[in-house]
Amino acid sequence: MMPRRVRFAEGATAAGALMLVAALTPLFASAQRPAAAPPAAPIRAAQFPPTREATLANGMRLVVVQSNKQPVVAVSLTFAAGAAYDPPAKAGLADMMATLLTRGAGARTAEEFSAAIENVGGQLTASASADVVTLRADALTDAAPLAFSLLADAARRPTFPDKEVELLRTQLLSALTVELSQPTSLAERTFVRGVFGEHPYARRADPTSVRRMTRADLVAFHDARLRPAGALLVVAGSLSFEQAKKLAEQAFGSWTGAAASPLPRTAIPVRSAREIVLVHRPGSVQSNILVGNATWRPNDPRAYAAAIANRLLGGGADSRLFLTLREKKSWTYSARSSIASRREMGSFEAATEVRNSVTDSALVELLAQIDRLGTEPLDRAEFDRTRNAMTGAFPLSIETAGQVAAEIANAKLLGLPADFVQSYRQKLAAVTPEQVQRAARDGMRSSSLFIVVVGDALKVRAQLEKIAPVRIVSVDGTPLRPEDLVVKAAALDLDLTHLVPRTDSFSILVQGRPLGYQRTTLARTAAGWELQDVTRLATVVQQNTTVRFSWALVMQSVSQSGKAQGQDTKIDVTYANGHATGTAVAPQQGAIKTVNVDTDLPAGAVDDNLIATLLPTFRWASGARFVLPVFQSGKGTATALTISVVAEESVTVIAGTFAAWKADITGGDSPISVWVEKGGAHRLLKLAMTGQPVEFQLVK
Amino acid sequence: MKPVLRAALAAVLSASALASQEPRDIPIKSYTLPNGLRVHLVEDHSAQVVAVNLWYRVGARDELLGHTGFAHLFEHMMFQGSAHVQKAEHFQFIERAGGTLNGSTQADRTNYWEVLPSNRLNLGLWLEAERMQSLAVTQANLDNQREAVKEERRLRFDNQPFVGALVDSIGLLYDRERCFAYSHSLVGSMTDLNAAKVEDVQAFFRQYYAPNNATLVLVGDFNSAEATALIAQYFNQIPAVPAPPSVACDQPYNTGVLRRNVADANATIGAVLAFWRIPAVSHADYPALDLLSTIFGQGESSRLNRTIVREQKVAAISQSVLNPIGPTRGPGIFGVLAIANQGVAVDSVERAVVAQAAQLVSGITEGELAKAKAYRKSTAVSQRQHALGLAEAIQFADLFLGSANRVNDDIRRYDAVTVADLRRVAATYLRPDNSLTLLIVPGGK
Repeated sequence: MMPRRVRFAEGATAAGALMLVAALTPLFASAQRPAAAPPAAPIRAAQFPPTREATLANGMRLVVVQSNKQPVVAVSLTFAAGAAYDPPAKAGLADMMATLLTRGAGARTAEEFSAAIENVGGQLTASASADVVTLRADALTDAAPLAFSLLADAARRPTFPDKEVELLRTQLLSALTVELSQPTSLAERTFVRGVFGEHPYARRADPTSVRRMTRADLVAFHDARLRPAGALLVVAGSLSFEQAKKLAEQAFGSWTGAAASPLPRTAIPVRSAREIVLVHRPGSVQSNILVGNATWRPNDPRAYAAAIANRLLGGGADSRLFLTLREKKSWTYSARSSIASRREMGSFEAATEVRNSVTDSALVELLAQIDRLGTEPLDRAEFDRTRNAMTGAFPLSIETAGQVAAEIANAKLLGLPADFVQSYRQKLAAVTPEQVQRAARDGMRSSSLFIVVVGDALKVRAQLEKIAPVRIVSVDGTPLRPEDLVVKAAALDLDLTHLVPRTDSFSILVQGRPLGYQRTTLARTAAGWELQDVTRLATVVQQNTTVRFSWALVMQSVSQSGKAQGQDTKIDVTYANGHATGTAVAPQQGAIKTVNVDTDLPAGAVDDNLIATLLPTFRWASGARFVLPVFQSGKGTATALTISVVAEESVTVIAGTFAAWKADITGGDSPISVWVEKGGAHRLLKLAMTGQPVEFQLVK
Repeated sequence: MKPVLRAALAAVLSASALASQEPRDIPIKSYTLPNGLRVHLVEDHSAQVVAVNLWYRVGARDELLGHTGFAHLFEHMMFQGSAHVQKAEHFQFIERAGGTLNGSTQADRTNYWEVLPSNRLNLGLWLEAERMQSLAVTQANLDNQREAVKEERRLRFDNQPFVGALVDSIGLLYDRERCFAYSHSLVGSMTDLNAAKVEDVQAFFRQYYAPNNATLVLVGDFNSAEATALIAQYFNQIPAVPAPPSVACDQPYNTGVLRRNVADANATIGAVLAFWRIPAVSHADYPALDLLSTIFGQGESSRLNRTIVREQKVAAISQSVLNPIGPTRGPGIFGVLAIANQGVAVDSVERAVVAQAAQLVSGITEGELAKAKAYRKSTAVSQRQHALGLAEAIQFADLFLGSANRVNDDIRRYDAVTVADLRRVAATYLRPDNSLTLLIVPGGK
């Protein structure tokens, strides 16, 4: 029974009924709220705002979606010029070109351009995706002529000023530094390489390609790819078809030229079995798991069933992956799946992030869920609930003219049928459970999934090899053999005569201001050496460290106590027979974590608190490169540091001006640069953390 | 704007056959249930969508000494189930209906909303009535959500650069004795949250989560008569309670320069946050301050972006933000954020921001004012395209301007602002002795 109708109000005008109901409200005191959620009322067929299409004489396609609800208009202009068209050695060109379209165009500088659109309360942006470059302008309707004229300038007459190219290059390089340190980005980059192989969909910008890009490349790409023929102009809002067409012709009518060339066909790898690529990220405390496959071209009839399969598997808080991996097993904060559509080839992926110790269990469960979806008949109630949620949500995706226009544009760009958006909900509603099962089997292809795990290979490799063949690569994609993972014995030839009793004082500067100090004292003991290190940084870090090691550089013990981020930290580790035992309470990825250390040491590994102490023992030379196996006692993990001499330069520190070797140290938690005295005792003069305004300078 | 551009723009506009357009007037049907629940209905059949939006007049400002953090803790409790709704079922009901939902806490209000396909209006109303009347305020739920709030604090504040410093320090603008309401943190103190007894939380619920302390707004595809009947059936049985106590805030302006250094463990680069005290949203000076904030730091062509980001290159990003912890019925905040470029000391960034703030008193042009007004108008218009955006705008007008219908005429307050007004409010409020500056440096790791 639906307790929702007001019988006597029917037939009255809305306002009249309202007054009547309000007046009679007390009479309803007996009509109680039901004890169970009310059922859905019937829903009308979806309504779409009036939509008209045309093609301009130059081949530009125009779609107008009219809605007079508010005096606004959104105009998008799309070209087949996405990242897929990047030349192989210049990945990132489309994205860079798109961003620069609005940073100087026509007679306007970057600043004049942004002022022009913002002066009328509007916005104009440009961006690149895999297939297309899209320019989009949003403005009040009375500013539509200006929006069209600015769009025409950006698309037809960008000036690519040198100044703006360099500014953007700097911004992109900074962004890439961050991106390439994040496990999710590493997983995604590895995934597309595995799934798309040599296909341009696998290409991603890197620092080399960004540095290589010239203004001439940008101009050439723009001229080759941004052509009116085949471009798609979509206007949504309170403009009539006639008004929109007139503005389009004024802005773009005089633009001519042949259509841009289509994307050359490139084969996409076909896999017949599961394969794991393990991206070795030493010291990682979590594994990022990403599995998937290439699917279909966008107009494949199985796409509707695949969409339901995806939602069932990992499309929300009601999905199987979420309910098992997160709710039932508590292995993760998030487990999810998705389907991406691209013009040439779509893809399916499922992902989760779990702690090291459950990496194999989580992957096995994830694979089992994908497998199950393609093999076990669906529970009817679960299927109905999922399909209804998707058809139910459809009205929310077409609430505004702008949303409708975006859906229509997307369908056109993917080459989908003309009525795709209008018929989407009906097509979805017609899908059967059997079709969903078949789509999961044929599209997700459980038996030949490509699997990426980003994590510490030393910790998770053995577990993963029981699941599928494992290929290991470094974070930059270089293949690694299992033996490469074990940090090698010290092939490093150190000059231990430079190890002498001494005390060094450093000032710690933050943003150029002295906020703390470090004092290190190296002294002889009966069994070798003892390093005492006292570090103070304002009120935030207080640390006392003692490291003991033998004459032959065999580690004996490390103890550290102090405070970081207002919390107590402590390391207590003993080394014996190539094994480290103890506990560490230390900062790790922004939080204080407790680690039980019980680990075999790579041969020749030294405690990471000793790095600065050992720098004087290196055989410094121009272009020298040293690999030092270290044990990070605060994390209980081993890694190898690479110390590369990158420059010989004069450096001024508080203690004076010195000729120095500058070396970059990588492989640790964050990259650092050091300056070491060229002559004499090879003292450490200065240490700087890359990308952070923190420096240690020798005082005396 | 350069004169030549202004001329070009005028030419383009006059050549256009399109008449200048204002936001469309919104017809609102308003009434109050016998139990005091205020209701505003806006029918709009352009899409099969309905927004159910409920604002409770409770926020951090209503919290008393020893009970800070309750408003936000409560927002969490509201999803823990009620007489006929199991824990977590609220989410499930809405997700399975194809809808979306959320809730949020600010200084002056806590909001809850659902956007649903219009045939599920009944579900949204039923769920809201259920939890207003019979929320499960149990010890187990309290313990559980107390942990969730701490986890949220870690995720959203303690693990993000700058945010922790902002949340913990912005209350310094207010005197603890004269305006406790705004001087304490929105997230509350861990001590208070740990000490909260289930009886305290139940009392808080009874006091503030009552129909006479709430406003319900529906926008979208429904029939007003049917909706009215449904609202009566679902909400009438919920009893009214005595009105909550009023909140006092007697915060003086110009009480001296406040400047703090903050070491932020999550920051890898320095930042400057500068704040000035401003009057309430309903105050006559507010529209001028809102426009001034746009001119100062909203958009690529704003003053801060043009000068300290692009010309001087001292900041990587610099923006202004009005009322960063939500609009207020009491004194509010005019804020500026500037994230330092690598290698630039925070005090250089501070000097650059201060110099730009000083320029506002004398340098504003008619062109900039026109730009800010256009921005304001287009933001208001864009927000109203969505049912939820319009519902929020109506709630805003109802609470902060005193009447839902002000959603239709508040724009006139903005239209009336002159360049002289902007200069006057800049000189009145953006004074050093009315400010708080936080200098954030990386550190603490």
